[in-house]
Amino acid sequence: MQPTPATHPMNDWQAVSVPQLPFLGSPKWQPHFSSKEDGRPDREEMKDRRKIIVIDDEILIAETVVEILKEEGFHAIAISSADDAIEMARTAPPDLVLSDVVMPGMTGVEIGIRIREIAPQCKVILFSGQAATMDLVEKARRQGHKFEILAKPIRPEALIGVVRRQFSQA
Amino acid sequence: MIRVRDSLSRKLTIMNLMVSGVALVLASLAFFAYDLITFRNNLRTSTSIQAQIIGENSISPLIFNDPDSAQKTLSALHTSPHIVYGAIYTANGTFFAGYWRQDQPKHPYALPAQALGSQESSRFAKGQFEHTHAIYFQGKLVGIVYIRSDLSALHDRLRSYGIILILILSASLLAALAVSRVSQRRVSQPILRLAETAQQVSREKDFNLRAPEAGDSDEVGALVQSFNEMLLEIQKRDSELQEREQQFRTLADSIPQMAWMAEPSGDLFWYNHRWFEYTGTTPEQMKGWGWQTVQDPERLPQVLAQWRISLATGEPFQMVFPLRAGDGSYRDFLTLALPVRDARGEIVRWFGTNTDITEQRRAEEALRRTEKLAATGRLAASIAHEINNPLEAVTNLVYLAKKQPHNLEKFLQLAEHELDRIAQITRNTLGFYRDSASSAAVDVSEVLQEVARLYERKLQFKRVTLAPEYGSDLTILAYPGELRQIFANLIANAIEALPDRGCLRIRASKTRSWRNGPQPGVRVTFLDNGSGIPPEIRKRIFEPFFTTKKDVGTGLGLWLTANLVEKHKGLLSIRSSIRPERTWTAVSVFLPFQPPEQ
Repeated sequence: MQPTPATHPMNDWQAVSVPQLPFLGSPKWQPHFSSKEDGRPDREEMKDRRKIIVIDDEILIAETVVEILKEEGFHAIAISSADDAIEMARTAPPDLVLSDVVMPGMTGVEIGIRIREIAPQCKVILFSGQAATMDLVEKARRQGHKFEILAKPIRPEALIGVVRRQFSQA
Repeated sequence: MIRVRDSLSRKLTIMNLMVSGVALVLASLAFFAYDLITFRNNLRTSTSIQAQIIGENSISPLIFNDPDSAQKTLSALHTSPHIVYGAIYTANGTFFAGYWRQDQPKHPYALPAQALGSQESSRFAKGQFEHTHAIYFQGKLVGIVYIRSDLSALHDRLRSYGIILILILSASLLAALAVSRVSQRRVSQPILRLAETAQQVSREKDFNLRAPEAGDSDEVGALVQSFNEMLLEIQKRDSELQEREQQFRTLADSIPQMAWMAEPSGDLFWYNHRWFEYTGTTPEQMKGWGWQTVQDPERLPQVLAQWRISLATGEPFQMVFPLRAGDGSYRDFLTLALPVRDARGEIVRWFGTNTDITEQRRAEEALRRTEKLAATGRLAASIAHEINNPLEAVTNLVYLAKKQPHNLEKFLQLAEHELDRIAQITRNTLGFYRDSASSAAVDVSEVLQEVARLYERKLQFKRVTLAPEYGSDLTILAYPGELRQIFANLIANAIEALPDRGCLRIRASKTRSWRNGPQPGVRVTFLDNGSGIPPEIRKRIFEPFFTTKKDVGTGLGLWLTANLVEKHKGLLSIRSSIRPERTWTAVSVFLPFQPPEQ
């Protein structure tokens, strides 16, 4: 998959305002992607990195998943509300969306459908702690929207594997 | 049955006889009268002629004063036996010569007054006839003839006439009787037969009978014909009725239920085949109150009592009780019986059915078990969901802790917090959170005020009016923490349901519960004019994890509250209305004064 064109004014992920995240956003804990010493890619390399939005109303889950993905060199952002996620996707289309299914306001399935409309090449992975969400996914499948769904809790290694496989298919 | 007191034929006969009798008597009387008049006239005429003849022949004896020859002339009168006395008087009225019938005393009668001065006179008097005749010779009165006759001839005549009349009358009445016997047969016979048939029909209830046709086209004929047509109609209806009865029996025998009919007195007089098939009894055994023998002896008194109540009041009977099958086993039957009323509303019979609901009961039981399983399943699924989220977070944090040792403490702290969350959920769902070891004296109004303060901000935000009405002396023995949780849950629910500017009334007062005998305690009622609870939701409201507020609710609040109230041996009841514009919910908690035994 090709990165979005650099000419887009809102293309730069660093320019997007991310909502305040309460748990991991402490002064002690800094994002790693800006420093070169810890062996992470610098800003130049980042341009080619895959962009991932992680959506979960349990913000701790969203943030830890983001952190895990960053460990693997992905460019990830944690968002706790569906509306923010859609807004984010509109201003800077991601390569992949990882979303919880049962959330207030909008389900992960709906978010997936909306984001596919905005960014057709974006991949969507859903994860859920409830067996009942299979109904939602099944309903969406019958309407022509196929989603991969993961069951919570998912081991981080497995999650990374799934994400990588998504990109290698592309 | 109609009894014939006065036979129609007798009436007709008497009438006939009276008619002919009266006609005969009238005719005879007329004849009598005519004969009487004729007889009198004849008597007068013949006497007058005799008097004239005697007068003619008496002229010379009178002139020559010869009474003997006058005597001879007069003696000719003996040929007329009814003449009792004949005499000749001189012109001045002196007796001259006389004749006496043999049985008469021989003395002369004085001339009647009217005899003098008139040519001829006659009169009937004292059962006798008197006649006088003046004798003239050469224009000069020379004497008077006087004849008296009795009326025995007339009497004889009348007597014989009377005898004849009686004979004729008898003969004609007999004849009339005979004639009327024959003629009335044509009129009265069909009517008599009709009456006889009608009596027989009403006696034997046999509508196949017919009155014999009269053959005439008069009123009687029409009557007989109409009567027969009526019988035919009744017969037709009768057979229709029988047909319907047959249909009903066939229907009653074809249904899987047992069916029966009872008199208003409660005697069962009919059962369908299913009854005998199932119970293995005979109709004779089941007559009247024989059904008691297939009842469970333990349940029989109850069944009898209720059946008697229905019989007395006319209320439909409905009850479930076991009935013994032919093989001695019992099955449960739903028994329904309805009274059948006539046009006046009087009960004429009862119609009942027994429906085997054993299978239904088993199915219901199975369904209940399934429901329970489903509820358990829902609980398990909900717990899984509640736990999976923190578990996911912990898994991620552990992974990150391994990857980033420099942030270890931070990750462990967060993981610990998540593990606490899991522990809390399992405590709330799988086992009870234990409050402070023992109960204590708690003032309910104080706890209420305390809890209400916790919700002050929320109430203000929604601009809800709080209307507390707390009575005095509301101290009970309870677990304070749990009491707080009960009230907190109920107030939180009420606030959720309330609209902007709603009103929440909290009323606490001393009262008694009568649920398990009189029991003193405190009742706290939370009344909100919020959205109300629809009945279908009210049924599931105490189920764990059942929530209408998917995003914010855990669905454990009321379930937990109910459990805590139960732990305090209290009662929790919810009433609610969803009538548009009038929605409200009242949650009432009763807590006894007595400390709950632990």
